[in-house]
Amino acid sequence: MKWPPMWIRLKINNERTRFGIWLPLFLLWPVVLVLLLALSPLILIAILAFWPSGWGRLAWAVLRSLGSIICALRGLRVDVASAGRNETVYISVV
Amino acid sequence: MSDSKKKILEMLAKGKISADDAYRLLSAVDESERDDETPPVEPAAKGKGKYLRVNVIPDPDSPNSEHADRVNVRVPLSLVRAGIKLTSLIPTDARDKINDSLKEKGINFDVNNVKNEDIEELIGALGDLEVDVVSGHGEKIKVFVE
Repeated sequence: MKWPPMWIRLKINNERTRFGIWLPLFLLWPVVLVLLLALSPLILIAILAFWPSGWGRLAWAVLRSLGSIICALRGLRVDVASAGRNETVYISVV
Repeated sequence: MSDSKKKILEMLAKGKISADDAYRLLSAVDESERDDETPPVEPAAKGKGKYLRVNVIPDPDSPNSEHADRVNVRVPLSLVRAGIKLTSLIPTDARDKINDSLKEKGINFDVNNVKNEDIEELIGALGDLEVDVVSGHGEKIKVFVE
């Protein structure tokens, strides 16, 4: 089973700012889960109502894809340093 | 002692070759034996990569290397897979427009024909991908799967 990312590490350095933060995503997931559970009857009704027009099927597929994309984000790392201007941006999803 | 070495020494003893020749031949035999003992380097297993890496680093040989940016991006292949699967969510009208645009640019590719099996094959084949480019701006660009 694939788990969603637990942390996002963000670092931005330039001549004016030195900023680094660890964002605890694991605190967000229980809230999202509770919200999804609370809204699931409404979501289900909306999907079923729009199923004949094709939008319901699309909404269901989007929801599923969104989940897999969020889980697949684990391991993503972007590290960019600009030449001459002393600017760096670092994003890491753990 | 190997048979080759014995033969060389016998030839030296019989005076068929000089001491210098014998030394050269023995060195060559030693070298070939060492090569045989070295374990072969196994190629990276196809489809075993986990990340798509894009690296842009300054080219030390270029005079413009001071102005080159550094980029180090690591994208999980599972994210690439999920991204490609999103094509199934593109509405039919938009797919036709994409196909038309691709044809205009000379790319004969039908987005409607992208199947799950094809995606797996494509991701698997990415394991062999290796792009190595030296740009004129003093940058070295490397794209590979690890």
